[in-house]
Amino acid sequence: MVTAATVLQEAAPVTKAAPSPVKTAWKGYEKVLFRIAFIFFIAISIPNTPEWYAQLIALDWRHLNYRDLYDIARFGSGINFFGNKIFGTSLLGYANWLTTVLIATGGGLLWTWIVKLRKTERAEYFGLYYWLRVVVRYRAGIGIIGFGFTKLLPVQMPYPSLGILNTNFGDLTAQKIYWLSIGIVPWYQIFAGVVEVAAGTLLFFRRTTTLGAILLAAALGDIVYVNFAYDGGVHVYSSYFVLLAGFLLVNDVPNIYRLLVQEKPVVPVNYYPVFNRAGKALRIGLKSFTIFLFLGVLFYLQLINFLYDPYKQPAVAGVKVLRGNYNVTEFRINDQVIPYNPLDTVRWQEATFENWSTFTFRVNKPHPLDLSNGGGDPQRDVNRTFEITGLAGGQRAFHYYADEVEHTLYLEDKYKAIPDRRNRTAGVGGDGGTDVNLGNDKTPAVTRNDKDERQQEDWIPAAARKNIGDEYGKIASIALSARRKRDYAAAPKNEKRQRFVVQYQTTDGNHVILTGTDENKNRLYVVLDRVDRHYALTPSSLQAGKY
Amino acid sequence: MDITSQTGAESRWNAPEKTAFRILFVYLLLQVLPLDWKFYSYLGKVDWPELAYQDIFNLARYTTRFSAGPAAFTDWGIIFGIAVVAGLIWTYRDAGRTDNYDKLYYWLRVLVRYRLALAILAYGFIKFFPLQAPYPSLSSLNTPYGAFNRWKLFSLSLGIVPSYELFLGLVEIVTGLLLLHRKTASIAAFIFLIFCGNIFMSNLAYEGGDTVYSLYLITLALFIFSFDLLRVVRLLVLQLPTAPNNFRPSFTGGWKVGRVALKSAFVLFFVLIYGVKTGTGARKDPYQYPTAKGLAAAAGLYNVSTYVLNGDTVTYSPSHPKRWQNVVFEEWNTLSIRSNEPVLLDSNNAHLVPKADTGKRYESEGTNGRHYYSYVIDSVHQRLLLSNRNPHYQHDVFVLQYSRPSAGRVVLAGITAAKDSVLAVLDKLPKKYLLEEAAKGEGRLRKLKL
Repeated sequence: MVTAATVLQEAAPVTKAAPSPVKTAWKGYEKVLFRIAFIFFIAISIPNTPEWYAQLIALDWRHLNYRDLYDIARFGSGINFFGNKIFGTSLLGYANWLTTVLIATGGGLLWTWIVKLRKTERAEYFGLYYWLRVVVRYRAGIGIIGFGFTKLLPVQMPYPSLGILNTNFGDLTAQKIYWLSIGIVPWYQIFAGVVEVAAGTLLFFRRTTTLGAILLAAALGDIVYVNFAYDGGVHVYSSYFVLLAGFLLVNDVPNIYRLLVQEKPVVPVNYYPVFNRAGKALRIGLKSFTIFLFLGVLFYLQLINFLYDPYKQPAVAGVKVLRGNYNVTEFRINDQVIPYNPLDTVRWQEATFENWSTFTFRVNKPHPLDLSNGGGDPQRDVNRTFEITGLAGGQRAFHYYADEVEHTLYLEDKYKAIPDRRNRTAGVGGDGGTDVNLGNDKTPAVTRNDKDERQQEDWIPAAARKNIGDEYGKIASIALSARRKRDYAAAPKNEKRQRFVVQYQTTDGNHVILTGTDENKNRLYVVLDRVDRHYALTPSSLQAGKY
Repeated sequence: MDITSQTGAESRWNAPEKTAFRILFVYLLLQVLPLDWKFYSYLGKVDWPELAYQDIFNLARYTTRFSAGPAAFTDWGIIFGIAVVAGLIWTYRDAGRTDNYDKLYYWLRVLVRYRLALAILAYGFIKFFPLQAPYPSLSSLNTPYGAFNRWKLFSLSLGIVPSYELFLGLVEIVTGLLLLHRKTASIAAFIFLIFCGNIFMSNLAYEGGDTVYSLYLITLALFIFSFDLLRVVRLLVLQLPTAPNNFRPSFTGGWKVGRVALKSAFVLFFVLIYGVKTGTGARKDPYQYPTAKGLAAAAGLYNVSTYVLNGDTVTYSPSHPKRWQNVVFEEWNTLSIRSNEPVLLDSNNAHLVPKADTGKRYESEGTNGRHYYSYVIDSVHQRLLLSNRNPHYQHDVFVLQYSRPSAGRVVLAGITAAKDSVLAVLDKLPKKYLLEEAAKGEGRLRKLKL
């Protein structure tokens, strides 16, 4: 099918003095290095977890979610037979790389030994080098495009919710502050996405590979540093692209140095295999398919996600009349009035109803925090926790199911002691989840019992469920996907959350009375009065989601 | 005057190339040389024996402009107009007497390279010693996220990670140094284009005040990089054999010495002296925050446990139009008050590098979350003389009597500028900031209750 023949660029003499720098045979050490690099980069470019293959096979191509393609483009790689530690340390997450290097070195030396022994040593590896570059180019290309599209259609870093806007700057983690600082300027996020997608696209073509690699190294090099500085948790994955880009640059950096710094003529050596008809067709076909899937289809899916279902922020619209900022003018618990006092540890201080189905309030009391970056791929709104991750200051956030007929809200805490596992296919260097939500937590799990779970299941009466409707279908039908359906169907397992139910009375939303029972079975009577906060921060014209 | 001879073959330029070059030459000369009196008036005001890093920065930051205001694109237009006229006259006068402008091109590139290096080094050092975006003040930590504008949030977000700011500064310094050498200039210009392209986009997105200036620097870098652009495209994209630049200046006699001397002087002044001055300035004289000390051992966040307004005690209320909700004493002489009284935003977003405390408005700029007062302590009479830091409130000046009955308590009493009599009992809060707590130990990878 593919015949690989050496076609070297002819060494046109530029000046008579310059000797032809084109070499046809490789030096011994170059060949050894290449063999090591070959094993290393192949190992680091292919998925190393069964989950990735399982998800690929299970894909419902007729009802795709953007995350399905994202998960194809993002996977754990490298040799991890021995776990993700080496000499008992994870090396900040890089242990897997070191293991892979050691094994690749062993393999490379073994390879050298065998060819020497069998006397089958080749003069050069132009052909294999070409194909290795193809693998790395496409690995880096689709990876960065998957990453870049969540910025190009700005959902990776959402605009802050009202609850976040009202949180003091010092009550946020560094990671949160960085992500918010991009979230407040969606047009800039798009720019960053364009750079990443452009870098990936350039890697699909041989002639633009070096430009793509330079762009990739520059953009992701900065992101590596950002992740270290802000404790962002994606330092390994971003370094991964810098590593791949570095490999792709090995070909041209010496040429640039020679041309610009040494001011000597350069004859570039670029080996391209010659294909027969079938080979040509196969090459064009595979390439077109990749471009169609990761630039065409992924763009469409990401657009749908941006418009109707921005992945980090809840997608279901909240009760229209209630949305906004509120002062808690009156607060009674078990019929006892508690006057406003910023130091009180029971009384709510301020409350918000977001555009989506989240209710927040602030209590001056320490709460267990979720310090993950709120990423991953949760489909259910209650698991989309960007509003509470990396944020303190006594803020609590509840997802609610609204029975608008009976004016009743069924609220459940967005904080969950044992969060769901996220980024199943991403492996090491996933979205920076904490140990707790990566499932590596050593502390014993909160014990569950059947009685708890039964209570959990019927906390919303059947009549109310009928009024509330099925949350799965509450977004635009064009955005419904097989993945969403699956996650909603599997929902009630391991759902141990604080819950409470309130009735709301209001005419126009300016004055709201909530009555009910809080999560600790206390009687609640709360009066909320809408307040107009004069934010200095002006929102962008570009808003994700439909509410 | 022929101060350089060249080794390597001479090139021939065609007529349009020559005309374009003449216009570009005049245009860039006017852009990079300080040719108007405003520059020299600042130069005249500099206290040379007591030269401060702020002076060097402000001089380096200067661009040719025709109005009193900040640099604008209209200045570019005027300069371009002059350049076209001058270039055409030059073309008329030259009338085919020159084969090429290789030498002049070389010298123009030298000027632009040094101008750009100067600009980058000036910014590089105030980032390397994290001065440009300082760590947020206590007041900022106790201000809601939404009470800052975009530009301020950008600056605060950088301010929380001095190590990242240092890294960005280092990139700028290295780029600046690479620009000083002919052979590495194109590489440096390319790195700078990527780097400053991002700065320019940030200025647009965050409504920063350096849009014109950053684009100005981009045009200089583009000019420097354009020298090798075709070669790089030919080598990397077309993948064809490529010949290097063949113009090599060779300096002889006095010029040889002069070149080394000038280059050394530049490095000595703008790298060594400026670097050292910025480094000591970072410790003793940061330009964003005042240097005057505040009330001793008072820094912190205070709850306003009692508030008496015109003789009436006002209970806690988040909606009272005047009641103070909390107060911050900074390490320096700033006191900030959170209340429901609206604040007119000081929306200055231009990057100013002031020397005197009075010009240091960074803490109150870009936020409407608190009222900022600078104060002078009269310890004999136990008084604080307050004046509002926000230029919208220049008449908000008054005196408060202070007493400190215990370590964590401050009592303030007096008549405000609005003629209200106030008495406030302030109690220090043991506030822990997630920003700092989460950075301890294993960082975010653990359980935290706060």
